[in-house]
Amino acid sequence: MGVDRRKAAVFGGALALRLLLLVLFPSLPDLLTGRVEASTPVTSFKRLQEGLFLYTRNVSPYDGGVFHQAPLLLPIFSLLPSSPGFPFPTVVLYSLIDLINANALITIAESGWAVSGRSYSAIRKHIRWDGVTIAAWFLFNPFTIATCLGRSTAVFTSTGILYALASAVTGKTFNSMLALGFASYLSIYPALLYIPLMLLCYDQRAQTAKTCPSTTVFALQHLAIFVLSIAGLLGVSALLIGDFKAFVSATYGFQLLVPDLTPNVGLWWYFFIEIFDSFREFFLGVFWLHLASYMGGLSIRLRRQPLFVLSSLLGIFAVFKPYPSISDASLYFALLPLYRHLFPLMRYTFFAVSALLYATLLGPAFYHLWIYAGSGNANFFYAITLVWSLGLSILLADTIFAALRDEWEYDNPEVRGKDVKQV
Amino acid sequence: MATPAALPPLPFNPSRVRSYVLRLPLFTRLVLLAIIVFWLLELQTVWSVKQWGSLIPEEINIGTMYRLNTYPFIHFGFFHAFLNLLALTPLLERFEAEHGTLTAVALFFGPLSTFPAGAYIVIERFVLHRNTEVFGASVWVFLLLGSEAIRTFKSNPYFSLGPYKIPTWTSPLFACGLVSIFVQNASLLGHLCAIFVGYLFGLGYLKVFVPPEKVLRWIEGKLNLLGRLPHYVSVDQKTFGRYGVLPTTTAGSERATPMSYLGSSQRLAAIRKLRSNPHFLFVHLPHILSFICIVAGVVWLLLLPLNDYSRQTYISENALLPGQVHAYFSGSEQHIFRGYKKELEAILGRQTPSGQDNRNEEFTPAVSDKIQSILRAAGLKVATQKYEYTSSGITHQGQNVYAIIQAPRGDATEAIVLVAAWKTADDELNLNGVSLALTLAGYFKRWSLWSKDIIFVFPPDSKSGTQAWIDAYHDMQPAFVQPLPLKSGALQGGLVIEYPFDHRFESLHILYDGVNGQLPNLDLFNTAVSIAGGQMGIGSNLQEMWDHNDSYEMRLQTILRGMVKQGFGYATGAHSSFMPYHIDAITLQPKGDGWQDEMALGRTIEGLCRSLNNLLEHLHQSFFFYLLMQTNRFVSIGTYLPSAMLIAGNFTIMAIALWLRTGYYTGLEQTAVKPPVTAEETNKQAATLTEKSGANTAQQPAVKTDSSSIIERQLALPLTLVVSLHLLGLVPLYIFNNINHQYYPTATYASIAINAILPTVLAASLTRGLTTTPRDQSQQSLLIKSFSLLVLGLFLSTLATLNFSLSFMIGLLCTPLSFVNRIDPRTASRPVRSVLAVVGLVLLNVLSPPVVLLGACWYSGVDVETVLTQAAFGWDVWGMWTQVVVWCVWWPAWVTGCALLEFSLF
Repeated sequence: MGVDRRKAAVFGGALALRLLLLVLFPSLPDLLTGRVEASTPVTSFKRLQEGLFLYTRNVSPYDGGVFHQAPLLLPIFSLLPSSPGFPFPTVVLYSLIDLINANALITIAESGWAVSGRSYSAIRKHIRWDGVTIAAWFLFNPFTIATCLGRSTAVFTSTGILYALASAVTGKTFNSMLALGFASYLSIYPALLYIPLMLLCYDQRAQTAKTCPSTTVFALQHLAIFVLSIAGLLGVSALLIGDFKAFVSATYGFQLLVPDLTPNVGLWWYFFIEIFDSFREFFLGVFWLHLASYMGGLSIRLRRQPLFVLSSLLGIFAVFKPYPSISDASLYFALLPLYRHLFPLMRYTFFAVSALLYATLLGPAFYHLWIYAGSGNANFFYAITLVWSLGLSILLADTIFAALRDEWEYDNPEVRGKDVKQV
Repeated sequence: MATPAALPPLPFNPSRVRSYVLRLPLFTRLVLLAIIVFWLLELQTVWSVKQWGSLIPEEINIGTMYRLNTYPFIHFGFFHAFLNLLALTPLLERFEAEHGTLTAVALFFGPLSTFPAGAYIVIERFVLHRNTEVFGASVWVFLLLGSEAIRTFKSNPYFSLGPYKIPTWTSPLFACGLVSIFVQNASLLGHLCAIFVGYLFGLGYLKVFVPPEKVLRWIEGKLNLLGRLPHYVSVDQKTFGRYGVLPTTTAGSERATPMSYLGSSQRLAAIRKLRSNPHFLFVHLPHILSFICIVAGVVWLLLLPLNDYSRQTYISENALLPGQVHAYFSGSEQHIFRGYKKELEAILGRQTPSGQDNRNEEFTPAVSDKIQSILRAAGLKVATQKYEYTSSGITHQGQNVYAIIQAPRGDATEAIVLVAAWKTADDELNLNGVSLALTLAGYFKRWSLWSKDIIFVFPPDSKSGTQAWIDAYHDMQPAFVQPLPLKSGALQGGLVIEYPFDHRFESLHILYDGVNGQLPNLDLFNTAVSIAGGQMGIGSNLQEMWDHNDSYEMRLQTILRGMVKQGFGYATGAHSSFMPYHIDAITLQPKGDGWQDEMALGRTIEGLCRSLNNLLEHLHQSFFFYLLMQTNRFVSIGTYLPSAMLIAGNFTIMAIALWLRTGYYTGLEQTAVKPPVTAEETNKQAATLTEKSGANTAQQPAVKTDSSSIIERQLALPLTLVVSLHLLGLVPLYIFNNINHQYYPTATYASIAINAILPTVLAASLTRGLTTTPRDQSQQSLLIKSFSLLVLGLFLSTLATLNFSLSFMIGLLCTPLSFVNRIDPRTASRPVRSVLAVVGLVLLNVLSPPVVLLGACWYSGVDVETVLTQAAFGWDVWGMWTQVVVWCVWWPAWVTGCALLEFSLF
């Protein structure tokens, strides 16, 4: 009961804080919606409203080339009262989604899969936070709050991913694949999580079930579920929109080919502005390959910690995705406290956090100098996005180092507590 | 982790330096003395030592051969002499110690100065056909370096730099290259000649010039030099064989030179020594670095007025073509001007007797109607706008009148604004300015060459009128400001005309500072200066520097005045309101009593409008961040930004150092902790899974399960404290912007009192509320300081990119916070702590935001109430955010600093 009360307090506090911010600063949601850090062309709430406007007037929402999000969002949002007139219901909906995400996080944390797996158990597993603390880290993270008030549709993808993880660690592998299918349907990139998620599901099954299922069969079975769930969602969407080809090219084509180079916190936009058009396809391929290549490497190297692979991949996506925003970073930061036991092994936390803080402050300042004051230029903002990515990469590299070190100490008990140099 | 048991002395040991200096041998002393004497001789102006003794290739003949020997003693100035002395002393001392005094005398008055000189003259005069004079002891420095390098090469042939092997004999060449790069006027050729001779000497080719030992012994014996001369190094006393290789360490010798040669081994040793001295590394070094950063930041700023760091202004945008057109505004226009002025005067004269107490008493409906009718008569489209602002209980209201000339050659997509406010920035009646603007409106209307619309705005005052107008122009107006009924295109530039007196003027004073330290494009300022000066022959001033003689002091004063205005971020005139919308604008104020009349001002404005009319795109070419020190000299952001960044960086350095210190180093007293206590503590900590430190785990190895020796940090309290203090800053921010103006002095005194109490309460409640060990307390106080400084550094460096001056000023005022610490109860006894803390607190309180405000008001003779009312007005109307920085950045950091000091009392 005590834990429940804490959970209620955290959830209530988070909800109250969001509503309070809305009441105190009524212009805040619109301000955040317009910020390039919080909303990208594929998650922007403004564009969603444009799509909604067309949709409710029986025009294809993809006409005009503004809206690039999954069609199933439209019927959901058309149920809500219009946001400019009544901002409250929308914010309440987004806050509730945050709470749902936090709930999934609690499930993940309490399953203990972050500290021990089927064939591995962290050495410092006594150093950990409970689920409510982790949920509090997520709910009171300024990035999460900014995403929530900015009403970026990326939170739905986050929900899909977090529920996929939560179902996987509790053994509901079917639900897990469905949730991942939902997330992939909304924004393609979560499909890259299929392999580590499948491994997690498999580990979970193998640990609880008496007999180990065959790996191939298991993988194919789940792949089928995953593909079918996506296919089902696409089918419903096709029914909804009518023109299947148009909506696929406007949503997935847009995400894959990156035609909109609006500035964001990632690395793609500047590069593709600068590049000669004749090399565009080539580098598009290279960038996507680069993003996808982490999946294989991490899954193999950290086979024994699939959940850690999933979290690290989310961090990598936050850096290298075509349209990243702070919501991706907030998802990564949400999973990071699960690895409290790795913190003593990390070496550059302070520097990474400082770099992220600097980027958080300087980013808006330089964007202001560039766009509003006119006294700076694009390089100012891009330099800061580089710092941001650097901070995230340091954090990522540091956690992966810590995880490897932990694994290594688990394998070699005699080296515990010795100084080791990386060469 | 290093044990701090044996603390080696600091690398820089004053007593060793003293003993080293006292042991310098004879010839070295004489040379140093001679250099100093020659330097002193240069201070007089009667007889030029340089002319007499330096090595000038063309001056060398039989009679002036002495120059071949005198030139090493002569220097260019103090720094030249000083640096050469520093470099020469250890080298020469070593040489003399090795070779004996007599040999040194013979060589240095013989081949070692004449040979490089000869080589230099031959090359300079006969090969290069130049005649550059050289002097200075650096020739000996490089010569000795060359010979040392050869010896190093014999024992230690290569540096390994990764896969590359660099022969050690090249090191003087690198040094020579570096010197030529970093030191102006260093003679590369002279140095190379010296190195060459040094190589020859090192290789032994100059052996023949060394007097034979027998002769030397004979002289020494006959004259009993050893007995007579102090510090004499005898032939037999020589430390090492004449041309042998020096052992790398001089066994048991006190004479080991503390100055390192170019070899890197000694440097590495110094770093290693640092690592074994954690107290220095974690406690002293950051303080030193922080201090250096601050000093460097200030010195950097002081260097800016020098010619080397500032630049001549230039027109960067070619389209402007300032002063290239003939200005036709003259003659009959003057009659029109006088006519308008008379008409306005008549209306004003009629209403002055009524003597209203309104702020905008001149701007009655009658005047407004008059202006409108004049503008309409001239054929312009006229509109009005009413506004009303309320700030600190004072209402500012008025009505803007404005009119638009539609461009005969444009499509109303771009416009230029001319503003003539009824009240100038100094609250004087701007009758001439308004009349001039009206005249110009009629005059401009007749021209067919405008490609941009021209908007004439007549606000009642310089503070709120333009702001209301420009806000409404961009549809950003608040509820109590009317929208504009008539609009034009994007504004490309703004000019504000002020002419508040009746006599003729001498020069133009140009105001350019915007709200929040934003500045207009430098091109606009330059255009104004160049049209006024080049075409009209009117001088220009800036920052109220009426007699600027272009000296260093004047330049610095101009920069500082500009920085103060920029830092406060308030609007200096009607033009300031344009800046937030990225519209470049300046105010032209006639000043002084000269022979320029209103027609000259009108022509200047005409020229400026013609230049702006030429623009093809928005002003973007030139600088938006600059510090002007004279109408034609400026420093750009790249040059001045490092000074504020260094100041902000000092806080970050300290924050990082404190973070490292909390993790790796617990303090000197660790060894003094009694073992039982340690054991008990360790057990407790093992139970709570917290900290492990080197000394403790050494005693209880079983406890140590953690691989790293990092001490676990307890972050919750410091983080909460720092974040909540920053949020608490919102309270004074709200109060100081929202109460009635008459309560401002009271609020200021109250905030001083609260500032005295709040840290005490914080410190007391934190020490009472926490039942942790003393070590945890000290760790937490360090962490609190670390986070607070990190946040301060973060904000200040971000701010430096937006408002350099504000960041610099607040950075300077916060510098003590880097050095304020909780005084550790284990290092000082209670009375000492109390005294130190109280003294520190008094000093800190002098630097608290409200006290600084009071001090500044007292110094400049302004009323506190006026300042704060103005600030609140800025917050409400102009969107000024200086207060946010003061209350949400500076004040929390200051409170944290005070609370840390107060900790030492408990």
